[in-house]
Amino acid sequence: MSYYFTILSPTDVPLFNIAFGTSKSGGDGIARFRFPDTAQYMNQFIIHSSLDIVEEAQWMNGNMYLKHIDTYPPASAYISAFLTPSGARFLLLHQPPQLPNTGSATGAGGGGGSSGSILGGSFSASALGSSRASASSIAANPTSPQTEEAVRQFMTEVYENYVKTVMSPFYRQGMEIRSAVFRSRVTAAGRKWL
Amino acid sequence: MSSTTKASRIGEELWKTRVDKVNAELVTLTYGTIVAQLCQDYDGNYPEVNKQLEKMGYNIGMRLIEDFLAKSNVGRCANFRETADMIAKVGFRIFLNIAPTVTNWTSDNNQFSLVFDENPLADFVELPDDGRAQDELWFSNILCGVLRGALEMVQMQVEAHFVSDVLRGDDTTEMRVSLIRYIEDEMPPEEE
Amino acid sequence: MAQPPPRHATVLSLSNSNSNSNLSNASTAIDRPHSSQTHMPTPSTSSTGLRVPSNRKTIYDRHLNRSRNAELSRASFAFLFAEMVTYAQRRVTGIQDLERRLNEQGYPLGLRLLDLLFYRTVSGSTSSSLSSSSSTSASPPNRPLRILPLLHLIHGPLWRLLFNRPADALEHSVSPETPNEYMITDNDPLVNTYISVPKEMSMLNCAAFVAGMIEGVCDGCGFEAKVTAHNQPTEMWPSRTIFLLRFGESVMEREKVLERAGVK
Repeated sequence: MSYYFTILSPTDVPLFNIAFGTSKSGGDGIARFRFPDTAQYMNQFIIHSSLDIVEEAQWMNGNMYLKHIDTYPPASAYISAFLTPSGARFLLLHQPPQLPNTGSATGAGGGGGSSGSILGGSFSASALGSSRASASSIAANPTSPQTEEAVRQFMTEVYENYVKTVMSPFYRQGMEIRSAVFRSRVTAAGRKWL
Repeated sequence: MSSTTKASRIGEELWKTRVDKVNAELVTLTYGTIVAQLCQDYDGNYPEVNKQLEKMGYNIGMRLIEDFLAKSNVGRCANFRETADMIAKVGFRIFLNIAPTVTNWTSDNNQFSLVFDENPLADFVELPDDGRAQDELWFSNILCGVLRGALEMVQMQVEAHFVSDVLRGDDTTEMRVSLIRYIEDEMPPEEE
Repeated sequence: MAQPPPRHATVLSLSNSNSNSNLSNASTAIDRPHSSQTHMPTPSTSSTGLRVPSNRKTIYDRHLNRSRNAELSRASFAFLFAEMVTYAQRRVTGIQDLERRLNEQGYPLGLRLLDLLFYRTVSGSTSSSLSSSSSTSASPPNRPLRILPLLHLIHGPLWRLLFNRPADALEHSVSPETPNEYMITDNDPLVNTYISVPKEMSMLNCAAFVAGMIEGVCDGCGFEAKVTAHNQPTEMWPSRTIFLLRFGESVMEREKVLERAGVK
């Protein structure tokens, strides 16, 4: 699973971006988007095209975490959203690895141990029919309750660090978040939950 | 009992019994707002911001000493060492609920450092990442002015400045305080 | 011999000084060009990097609840706030200008407090200090979607965070002309406790700072509003202040739509 996470201001200005891959099931944390050359552009395009849905959902549902809100089939991209009360949007694009039995047969068994216990054994490779490395992890099914929960944990952890950022008197709404420490915290949250 | 211990006890007792309190975060956030506003108004001219903060502190110090004397009911200090303890253990306790360490005295007993383990003014604060703020801005500089203003009202001319700040990436937050002279040719402030 | 706290008379003489004081502190950073969308997330180029102490402690290492129940001296707040008002007053042209400036300084604080409040709610601690003791509303797990829950958030949790007590009243305008107006009353605003306003400036209310915070909270939640502070003294409460919230047209329209959709 590859992830692209972005924070947008209430007026849709990007404040922070990061791409990473799953660290579950033996994943190495490196993003491998399907079209690596255009991934940066495509990811932002997909995220921005989901904003209408976010804006609608925003007023129907008072939760901060809106779960999976949009899918972009051409790139098999799934979008999850989290809204801060002060109007910033956290958007996570997840893209499962390509289905054909290309590579990454490694790690399916061994790496699944830690996450397998959370997810229950039934989500085994057989259930999903392929030998994808992530078969037993949240990465296999972007809309499963397990994934929703993992993303929620990730978002909540990022939110905590986001609040620490905005509490500084020198932070103004709409400012890009450039702190290397913040970035490392988001990376760590990704490693922990995704 | 050392003068330091005694002062600490007085400070703690006063904090518990004589000080009206408010939510600490309101104070912290208000101070942060002041500094951020100055940085904006002076367009990132940090030396000027330091100066303005010191001036604000001076104004506060001149009025704050009255409150301090009324609450603490302490007599005149015998020497500058006693004054230092009074500032660190009573003054800072009453107004910021902290008690910085007094240290690094010069041999003539005219200069010391206040080392701050905590500083509620700086909670939540990260200096601007502009390549200059960490070299030029003393975020808590208002405190230097407070000391200067307050001590001037009790016949001591002092100079105070920060020499390090954890916000700048230093390992400590330290303020250096020097006695310039005792002001003898003026009347003490009116007693209440 | 408990002495009353000193009243720090802030000398408020308005001079025609610097009139081009900043109009848009809350929005300076917002109008960033969209070109920054192409910003590549490589840490090496995106940050010049702040130095950190050798223990590597940064704001990210400090627990957000650490100062949650901490207290400081009321006098310290009063001294700082008085300096803030005095300083603001040096750069304005009149009472309205001064109130606007105080409002603008409160605004970003409102945004911060909003996020802090919600963090403390979601972080799940038994939020006794946040949830309304008056049983009308529990601690707010949700972003407010309608005006009423927003007002309860301000009247209860926000006030408690700032002043350790809820506000004194919450009212809706009775005039059919102004259905978009709401009032929050504080009988004895902390921010006015130590400020003596000279007679010729009797209109001034320094609680404009708090009005700015309220405005920040409203705007942050997506409820565009103008908030002003007004003196409404009574015999018992000489510094009683009404915060008047005027919601924008778009908010009122959305309110109707959500009402029909059954959103609470």
